[in-house]
Amino acid sequence: MIAVAVPDREGGVALALHRVSKSFDGRKVLDDARFAVRWGEVHALLGENGAGKSTIMNVATGVYIADTGVTEIDGVATRIASPIEASRHGIGMVHQHFRLVNRFTVAENILLAAGPEAGIRNLDQAARLVAAKGSEVGLGIDPAARVCDLSVAERQRVEILKVLILGARIVILDEPTAVLSDQEATSLLRFTRGLADTGHAVVLITHKLREVVGHSDRVTVMRGGRTVLADCPTTGLDEAELARQMIGERVAPLRHLEAHPGAPRLVVRDLTVARADGGKGVDGLSLELRGGEILGIAGVGGNGQQQLADCLIGLATASRGEIQLMGRPVVAASVAARRGGGLRMIPSDRFASGLIGDMSVAENLAMTHLAGRYSRWKGFLARGRMRRDARAAITTFNIAGATPERRARLLSGGNAQKLLLSREVDSELTVLVAHSPTRGLDVKACQFVHGAIQDSVAAGAACLLISDDLEEILSLSTRIAVMSRGRLVGEFPAREATAEKLGLLMMNHA
Amino acid sequence: MLDRIVLSRRQNIPWHLRSATFIAGLALGLGISCLILLAAGVSFDDIVDDLITQVFFTADGLAQTATQAAPLILVGLSSAASAKVRFWNIGLEGQVWWGAIAATWIGLDAPGWLPWRLPLLLLISAAAGAIWILLPLWLKLRYRVSEVVLTLLLTNVAFLSVQYLLFGRWKDPATGFPVSPMIDPAARLAQLGWGSVHAGLILAAVIAVMLWVLFDRTRFGFYAAAVGLNTDAALASGLPVVSAVTCCVLMSGALSGLAGGVIVAGTEYHLTTFIADNYTFSGITIAFLARFSPLGVVAAALAVSGMYTAGGTLKVFYSLSEATVVLIEGVILMSLLLARFFSLYRIDLTHWRAVR
Amino acid sequence: MTEFLVTWLAGTPSYAMPLLLASLGLILSERAGVLNLSAEGIMAVGAMTAAVTTLLMGHPWLGLLAGAGAGIALSAVFGLAVVVFRVDQILAGLATVAIGIGITGVIGRPYVHQTVTGIDPVQLPVLSAIPVIGPVLFHQDPLFYLAVVLALMASWMLARTRFGLRWRAVGEDPAAADIAGVDVQVTQLLAVLASGALCGLAGGYLSVVSSQVWVEGMVAGRGWIAIGLVIFVRWSPVRAIFGALLFGGASALTPRLLATGANVPVYLMMMLPYLLTIAVLAIPAMFKLGRGPEPENLGTVYLRQDRR
Repeated sequence: MIAVAVPDREGGVALALHRVSKSFDGRKVLDDARFAVRWGEVHALLGENGAGKSTIMNVATGVYIADTGVTEIDGVATRIASPIEASRHGIGMVHQHFRLVNRFTVAENILLAAGPEAGIRNLDQAARLVAAKGSEVGLGIDPAARVCDLSVAERQRVEILKVLILGARIVILDEPTAVLSDQEATSLLRFTRGLADTGHAVVLITHKLREVVGHSDRVTVMRGGRTVLADCPTTGLDEAELARQMIGERVAPLRHLEAHPGAPRLVVRDLTVARADGGKGVDGLSLELRGGEILGIAGVGGNGQQQLADCLIGLATASRGEIQLMGRPVVAASVAARRGGGLRMIPSDRFASGLIGDMSVAENLAMTHLAGRYSRWKGFLARGRMRRDARAAITTFNIAGATPERRARLLSGGNAQKLLLSREVDSELTVLVAHSPTRGLDVKACQFVHGAIQDSVAAGAACLLISDDLEEILSLSTRIAVMSRGRLVGEFPAREATAEKLGLLMMNHA
Repeated sequence: MLDRIVLSRRQNIPWHLRSATFIAGLALGLGISCLILLAAGVSFDDIVDDLITQVFFTADGLAQTATQAAPLILVGLSSAASAKVRFWNIGLEGQVWWGAIAATWIGLDAPGWLPWRLPLLLLISAAAGAIWILLPLWLKLRYRVSEVVLTLLLTNVAFLSVQYLLFGRWKDPATGFPVSPMIDPAARLAQLGWGSVHAGLILAAVIAVMLWVLFDRTRFGFYAAAVGLNTDAALASGLPVVSAVTCCVLMSGALSGLAGGVIVAGTEYHLTTFIADNYTFSGITIAFLARFSPLGVVAAALAVSGMYTAGGTLKVFYSLSEATVVLIEGVILMSLLLARFFSLYRIDLTHWRAVR
Repeated sequence: MTEFLVTWLAGTPSYAMPLLLASLGLILSERAGVLNLSAEGIMAVGAMTAAVTTLLMGHPWLGLLAGAGAGIALSAVFGLAVVVFRVDQILAGLATVAIGIGITGVIGRPYVHQTVTGIDPVQLPVLSAIPVIGPVLFHQDPLFYLAVVLALMASWMLARTRFGLRWRAVGEDPAAADIAGVDVQVTQLLAVLASGALCGLAGGYLSVVSSQVWVEGMVAGRGWIAIGLVIFVRWSPVRAIFGALLFGGASALTPRLLATGANVPVYLMMMLPYLLTIAVLAIPAMFKLGRGPEPENLGTVYLRQDRR
């Protein structure tokens, strides 16, 4: 066992970063930022996507090396150039994307990270330590289980245990509740409070105001790579004011769309889709989607959402069941045929399966209509028309930083998503499958995306919104269903749905 | 330890940096090659005189370089066509062998009206090359078996097929050497009256221009580029991914097969066990030098062909092995690959001194 | 018939040995995430160096050692390229093959076809007297036993030690390994050098032990077969022993049949190992058999600063 030195409850500053700047390839992501957390507190680091909050913590843990800036631990300036050095200084971070070897067991992952210096020489000792530490802090886990067989919440427990076994006294959690159901999130936040009470310094990176006000002692707000509010006690803090600090301006709340359901446009019956590893991704799922409605599918990520989206557009084959698009069976149809029927898609990772980063804006816009609109005699490309249409789309959708010739990769996340939307939300759209359409976007870009979806639905299209962001589901959908273990486990009209109700259904997830 | 060198990927590589690193890589490769030749006992004056002046600035040398360039252009195009859709065709040599076998067969045995012999020979040799890549293509598309090892292994099988024929059916009855009989004169490519340069060079150049138009100007070229850059996005946009890959890979096999046909019908007029030597490395080096552009392939093939001519001189006067050319190709390819590092990444060494 | 079988089987290990040594090296490299296509070139350099050293120094063991050393030297170039300079592993591997094959032709030319002192087989007392099994298993050259021991050691190292756990973690998920304090680049370099030593030794075995002569191009695709073999045995050093014996058996068949005076199409028979490799790569994929643990990060570039 490692003896954790417990400093005084109202101790001094545990970890401080001063005047930190960091550029990636000439783009400044941290600009003179600062941050400090004290012993025995839960400190929320608040900011929107792209504000630099993960980046500054990655500097603190040695994943990134800052261009300028000073890191202090317990008031002593310290140079941290790699994650292992951070760990030696008692800093541990639970990354948003877990850093666990999926094919290894829990004990093997612990043995990988914690060696003889933590008193672990073999797997048996690692397993014993997992059990001991787990029962000490209340995070039980089977040390012999393989990580790939664990649920997301369980993997998170392994990450936290790993950090604690390595002797971390400063614990950083990056958006820990993003992957959890409401109830699991609450229990995790309670756990972080317990950590702080035993003298740890806890940093909670988040963009959710609720977590700041309810579950942390102090808050630092970042915006555009700068620290805009530092070290502010959260007691009596106004959520609206915090939101203004985080976003920088007032954001109009989303208007609520009234459902006017028309004829069924997408009907799915008893659909089963296999995962790449052979297991069942989607398992006997049925749904019906009508024109003029947004069906929100809530659920913890990894419960078959990806397979459902892939199968609807035609990238994954269904092993059973049927899909009807505009009354025609399409379960065996090609992607092109489905697109011909007006099916459109916003994938969860826009540069993985939506846009081609190394092609130009004009080419990305044209690629779904090459065979018709952009072809001339004998299959030659109508490049002039591609350029003209691109120029028009850039103006209409106000895509900042884009010219028809510019490579799509050089656009910011929000503008790349606008580019994708301007291609997918076109006049032939009948059914839009939107999978986490605002992931990684800042508030203004989110608003644009949500507006575009609502406009197309108001004009008669149908939208299937798959998202693990509960707020997005609740604010946008006209009807809500919960997906768990590959099937829909409950359905409500939007006005009857609450985060608690949905959370209860999501509890039993994979 | 090495992680003190902080790297970040450049999102936008300015063209001058791209060209500068390319030229630096090429210079490094050529420099190392010179050192190797010096170490092998070639004097510096001879390197300049034999390898540059003789090869590029005398009529004979240039003619020989141009002659050898024809099949090299074709294998360079072959490598570029499959690289376009990210299919690793590392079996160019096998396809060249089968193209040569098919060409020899037509040249020796094909019946029928004489004027059809040459077009038939070229067509069949291209088809033979395409057939030879069919198995790896099918296994890759249908069962996701890696094409890297398969195409390589098939090269050895093709070479053994050549030996089987040359030590069997096509053995020279007079001498017993593994050399096939000469093909029918009607099946040979026309000489252009300049050294031994033949119509194959024109054929190769025309194909290069056609491929440039195909890849740069047409819908098919767009499909191929999209598949190569991001297959998932191409699939999700409804592009015909499988047919684009199939066409490009079959085209790659056909071009290598045609190279074999051009070697037999243009310069050798018979099949021997040496004619396809090292075409795999040459093809890949040419495609890489040309940055996979069909027109660039023509220039790169001429340069590599010059190396072959020079290699021939070295062989005669310094009794260096043919392997010298392979070594130089490897060195140049590696130098170009290494040099790219400096344009692909932004390198920050300021943290290096922090090592204890 | 029995005699034919015994001589064939007894001849098998010497054909299997280069494949076993090379595929062991490749397994070590690929388990750390480096797809190493350079085997063919490294074996060529190993074969040439071992033969030349033996000729000059007169000692075969010294030659084998030099072969392994030359393998390390050439794979250092490959390792530097892929690990430090982040070059595409397939292209770097091919360039290394070209360098390896080229350099042997340039340096080794004066030594072609000169007979090299070989290494005599060891006859294990008592055991080698057992009929059939004796000559097959217990009358082999010492490297056979060494290679089997090396395979068992590699298997133990990867599966049972913390060092092996960290080695495999780099091949599975370098980001996770990095966070856990494993030096990803040093581990990969080490893996590449180890594979270089083993591939160089495999080449040395070819020239000094099997043929006792060096000729240009004598590796003849064995490096590529070894790469296929690694996939066939699903990255397991122990299974590699049996895989190599299977392929060795196929290669040993042709000369055995020729020795009996049978009229067989030699060149078609010689295709057997290549066709067998293609078959063992294709058939499991076609029938979805034995989907073992391919290292998840095989062939990709790791950069800590990448945002993921």
